[in-house]
Amino acid sequence: MITLDRVSKVYRTRSGRKTVLDNVNVTLESGHNFGILGVNGAGKSTLIRLLAGSEMPDRGAVRRYSRVSFPLGFGGTFHGALSGRENVTFVARVYGAEVRAVTEYVEGFAELGEYFHMPVNTYSAGMRARLAFATCLAIDFDVYLIDEVTEVGDQRFRRKCAEAFRERTLRSDIILVTHNVHTLRQYCDRGAILDNGELTLFDDIGMALGRYHRMVQESL
Amino acid sequence: MSDIGQIRQSAISAAFLGDLDACRFHLGRADVTDHERAWLYCQLSEALYHNGIHDNAVECARIAFDLQPEKEEIANLCAWVFSNCGRHEEAAAAYERLLVIRSQWAAGHRHASGSFAAAGQFDHAIFHGRKASDLDPHSFEFAFHAACLLEAAGRHAQAVDYFMRAAALDPADACVLRHLSAALFALERGEQAVALALRAVTLAPSDRLSALHATELLLRTERYDEAAAIILDAVAVHREDHVALRLLSATQILRGRAEEALEAIDRAITLAPETTEYLLHRANLLYRLGRLEEAAETFGRAAALDPSNPDTKRSQLTVYFDSGRFIEALAVGGELIRTSPDNEEYAQAVLQVLNRRFEMLDGDYVVLSERALRSPRQLRPQPTIFAALHTQARVIYALIIRETRTRFADSKLGYGWALLEPVLHILMLSVVFAVLMRGRPPIGNEFFIFYYTGIIPYHLFVHTSSNMTYAITGNLSLLQLPLVSTFDVIMARGLVELLTDTLVAVILLAGFGAIGLGVLPHDLPALSASVIAVWLLGCGLGFINAVLNAFFKSWDKIWAQLTRALYFCSGIFYVPGMMPDWVRDILVWNPILHAVDWFRSSFFPEYEPHWLDRSYLAIVAAVTVVAGLGFERALRRHLYEPL
Repeated sequence: MITLDRVSKVYRTRSGRKTVLDNVNVTLESGHNFGILGVNGAGKSTLIRLLAGSEMPDRGAVRRYSRVSFPLGFGGTFHGALSGRENVTFVARVYGAEVRAVTEYVEGFAELGEYFHMPVNTYSAGMRARLAFATCLAIDFDVYLIDEVTEVGDQRFRRKCAEAFRERTLRSDIILVTHNVHTLRQYCDRGAILDNGELTLFDDIGMALGRYHRMVQESL
Repeated sequence: MSDIGQIRQSAISAAFLGDLDACRFHLGRADVTDHERAWLYCQLSEALYHNGIHDNAVECARIAFDLQPEKEEIANLCAWVFSNCGRHEEAAAAYERLLVIRSQWAAGHRHASGSFAAAGQFDHAIFHGRKASDLDPHSFEFAFHAACLLEAAGRHAQAVDYFMRAAALDPADACVLRHLSAALFALERGEQAVALALRAVTLAPSDRLSALHATELLLRTERYDEAAAIILDAVAVHREDHVALRLLSATQILRGRAEEALEAIDRAITLAPETTEYLLHRANLLYRLGRLEEAAETFGRAAALDPSNPDTKRSQLTVYFDSGRFIEALAVGGELIRTSPDNEEYAQAVLQVLNRRFEMLDGDYVVLSERALRSPRQLRPQPTIFAALHTQARVIYALIIRETRTRFADSKLGYGWALLEPVLHILMLSVVFAVLMRGRPPIGNEFFIFYYTGIIPYHLFVHTSSNMTYAITGNLSLLQLPLVSTFDVIMARGLVELLTDTLVAVILLAGFGAIGLGVLPHDLPALSASVIAVWLLGCGLGFINAVLNAFFKSWDKIWAQLTRALYFCSGIFYVPGMMPDWVRDILVWNPILHAVDWFRSSFFPEYEPHWLDRSYLAIVAAVTVVAGLGFERALRRHLYEPL
């Protein structure tokens, strides 16, 4: 369960100030997977980072009553000069997880081969994403925050990820940002729409998608 | 005169026979004056025109006009013939010629304006149109004509003046009111425009154009319900009017009555099944209603009607995609790519469809959200201060281990460099001062030990404050982890330096012992206190440096210069006692100098300098630490951007 208590967040962009959240009070209940919808630039990634704690709100508080993962997205959490293994070790230590078990799991899952022992700088974007994905899965989080990475890798790897997540969702929740309606319907039972600083929760992902489609249509 | 009568007779009969040449022959006879000849040609032209022989009539009029363009009745008749035969440019020229003679002739200006407008010369047309109305301001037709020309040219403000004139002459004319309303709306005088449009509707309740116009204005000014009342009346009167029905549909959408909007557009399509725009409107409406199947079908009909419009296909693709019909979406996408191969947005859309199709191919994707049986995990309590500190300690520990891996990652020597740097430094100083200057150290017997006592505290300070400078800029990727804070990365660097330099100091001391220079500090608490004090000073400045470097990318260069200057001011290779008093009085402001002397005095019992002020160093260190931590906390949110 994550609670946003009167949370406000304003973002500065080249084109001026952008309000991501404006005095938002919501509770993302545990036991549900949430799909976050919003047009490009609404601040979905910022919201995910706020939920994770990578970023602090301007006002208000984000309270986490669960162990929340780091945001799994395109931004790197890995140090380029260290090897994949060293990076994974670091993350495991930070989260107080069993280092050995985590590195072994990641080595097996990410399919990086020899690259696992080479600096992350030498990785392709896909390899980095695979490493991040595997690391996130290796640590036992209550809530996984995923920002548009389910499309990573070839089809076989994607299926493997889906399989791993299916197993994981028996215990953990997912908060997902993606433009892929299909993925949203697969993973999420609830939805939220982020629009103009307001975060509206929906008890059903279908309702959220319907509302979102109408919203996009009207804005055209 | 009888001659002319004869000539006229023979000319006209020749003309009747269609024999223009014979006619010309008669009229070209020498004893006819120019005036008479021109007049006769005019007569002939008129007769020819009445007989429907227009080309010849024009021909004759041209001859007449060429002969005597300055004669009023000739020019008038020629202009009339030109105008009626569709030779508008010539007619306009003739009228202009006439207006030279009768410049105040309002009807003439009106004719000229008409001819110019028909010839496409709108500037001239407007000039004469306005002139006509200004000369005869009581003519409704002149005012209306000028206003329409101005309106068509986009000169709304002037158009309004003439429409007003026309409206004043005939206040009950709905058409004028409608035009005036449109011009006012173009001038953004919405209120007036709407009022006039409504009056036009009241004056002519069954006039279809007035109703359409009023509806459109009401929609644009967001008075949807009034718009609906008018357009519903119009549709009731003009049952076969598909334009009105299309407008009704738009009105109903804006009123949120999608079903009625759909009914209206369906009726419009029945009346005009070939209009692509109606089909697109209907499809969008269905899409909005969530009736994807029908929307796709309607988009398909629109695309079939107008195959050259890619936007229709693009919309169709979206609908197919959203309704999960990827095969159809792909087919449409293929056509899109073929017709507009360079459109990036289309390519993106098709790629999205392809990706989705790939996912569907195997069909064994698991639906994950059906997990009603799962009981939610137990909630964890908010972490206590103790737990938070424990987590932070874990993070700093992980960071320290990581830092030790990357600290010397660039050099092959690795950690050896940490040891080699002070060794080389001490060796160099010893060689310079001992061999070249054949001197003795100011305190003790060994140069190595003396320089050692200067280098170690100085290095600890410089390494700590300098390496902490890069803590934020060098760890941006790690800071993306929620548990890792800027304080953690800066602090970890400071601790790494403390550990490294302490280890190096101990190893060096052991090394000195091994080569027979065995010296141990006589006052261990003083040694520890001086090390801690100088490290804290380095830490405080390190926090400030780290924050400054996050904002000013070249701060590290400035800091490097400052520490280089400190090297000469800190009594490393001399003791302040060797300096003149006034120099020493300045040097004692440098806290590092106190650190070096404090450290030194713990090695050499006989060294007890009177200028050494331990509390000065302690206070400066404490103040810097407080300032550094406060600085970091205050600016924490602005130190880095998410990657």
